[in-house]
Amino acid sequence: MSAPLLETRNLEIRFGGVIAANDVSLTIESGRNLAIIGPNGAGKTTFLNICTGWLKPTRGQVLFEGKDITPLPPRKIVRRGVARAFQIPQLFTEHTALENLLIAVAAREGLRNPVRDLHTIPERAEMMHLLEMVNCADVADRTVVELSEGQRKLVDIAVALALRPRLLLMDEPTSGVASSQKHRIMEILVEALAQAQVTSVFVEHDMGIVEKYADEVAVWNAGNVQLRGTPAEVLEHPDVIRDVIGEVA
Amino acid sequence: MNLTIFVLALFDGIAYAALVFIVALGLTLIFGVMRILNVAHGSLYAIGAYATVSLTGAFLAMGFAPVFAFPLMLVSAILVGVLLGGPIEWLLLRRIYDKPEVLQLLVTFAVFMILEDVQRLAWGSQPYFQAAALQALGNVTLFGVTYTVYQLILLPAVALTLLLGLRFFLRRTVIGKLILATTEDREAAQSIGIDADKVFLLTFIVGAALAGLGGALASPTTSILPGMGADMIVLSFAVVATAGLGQIEGAALTALLIGLGRSFAVYVWPETAVLVPYLIMVLVLLVRPEGLFGSPAARKI
Repeated sequence: MSAPLLETRNLEIRFGGVIAANDVSLTIESGRNLAIIGPNGAGKTTFLNICTGWLKPTRGQVLFEGKDITPLPPRKIVRRGVARAFQIPQLFTEHTALENLLIAVAAREGLRNPVRDLHTIPERAEMMHLLEMVNCADVADRTVVELSEGQRKLVDIAVALALRPRLLLMDEPTSGVASSQKHRIMEILVEALAQAQVTSVFVEHDMGIVEKYADEVAVWNAGNVQLRGTPAEVLEHPDVIRDVIGEVA
Repeated sequence: MNLTIFVLALFDGIAYAALVFIVALGLTLIFGVMRILNVAHGSLYAIGAYATVSLTGAFLAMGFAPVFAFPLMLVSAILVGVLLGGPIEWLLLRRIYDKPEVLQLLVTFAVFMILEDVQRLAWGSQPYFQAAALQALGNVTLFGVTYTVYQLILLPAVALTLLLGLRFFLRRTVIGKLILATTEDREAAQSIGIDADKVFLLTFIVGAALAGLGGALASPTTSILPGMGADMIVLSFAVVATAGLGQIEGAALTALLIGLGRSFAVYVWPETAVLVPYLIMVLVLLVRPEGLFGSPAARKI
């Protein structure tokens, strides 16, 4: 049997007296979109930060495709194939949308040809295609400060996809976006992920989004996975209705 | 002031501004990208000058033509960048990026003090002079004034080439864009796989090499002696602060302003010549504390 795409073993991390990850063991299989839900402070973002190397656990391991990536710095984990999109898009605001993707490709490829003009790199057409996939081709030459919040979210996802990840971890991909736009953004996102064959894990507070776009849901509580299953199973579970959905509503 | 004096002051100012700008360029590049004010920059300038004089002297003694002084200037600059700049960033600065600015200043000041003594140990305290490069290019007469081609044409040409080259390098090339991206947001850069440590190391080596190149280019025009590094760091800081920290194009203009101000003062009111660059800086900073071209929340480079 092949190794799961991502596996965590007994992850533990403490901030002062607070245990933000409490013996988290979980596997993520290829090709499925996993939503992480749970009350504020349950350790959802901490989990993403550990998996991408931004936080180092006091105990436990993170394995990507069977290999231990726990001690690696974030940039090396990205190069292995685990990308991250943050709650607030981390784009280079003084550059255009397209340049943000080109910079990501240049970072991915390392310094293959460091003094060539950024706009002449061979992946330019591929990056334009990525912008098309996220419906942002028309704003390719606009600087990030000129983009709407929704467009920034989508460009941020495109930047993550430019890194050719096999797993993309997203922190509230639709937060900060007008509610009328949320489903449109998720549809574009899920379609783009399917096309690029990228598995995703996303933290989400909007249960409507979770129900519609997740293949699986993991419920976080007090630093660990309380429950896991299909959206239908999880969202109707009385504990989840009491602890999570009740709070959100 | 008659025309000859005016032209002479103009040429002096341009030649001086070109040299100061080359050194200031390295200082402002390092500050723009790494947010570190490198006091040791002055020592790197002095060591660039000493290395050029020693290497040129050795090659001339072996029978090489004086024109070999030019490639040796480049070699000296690269040696300063790689052999001194590299270890300073790698062994010291890397540990203090997240520390208070006062500590960063103290550390680079300590490096400056150490390197000043290293110069005395290696080259002693007697002055050196090596004008082979200056003589190799000869003189030119313009508006009735005979001036060295080296100072009137070569130095400004190198300064202008470096200004345009660095602009192109940062704004267009792959590595330049990665440097700008890291400057803008170090975390975001790391999250897309940019090795920020390498970017900082490269930036510091380039900045240090520019200081070394400044010294190398200055060496045929002046006596090389202890203390020249201290004079230059203060002056190039005046240029960088007047322009606004991290402002590359601005530094070119303020270098010209300060260079011309100083050279005209030499002819008109010599007692104030040393003071003029700082007077310009103080006047500008009184009116615009962020510098002529800086803005309080401006881009860093």
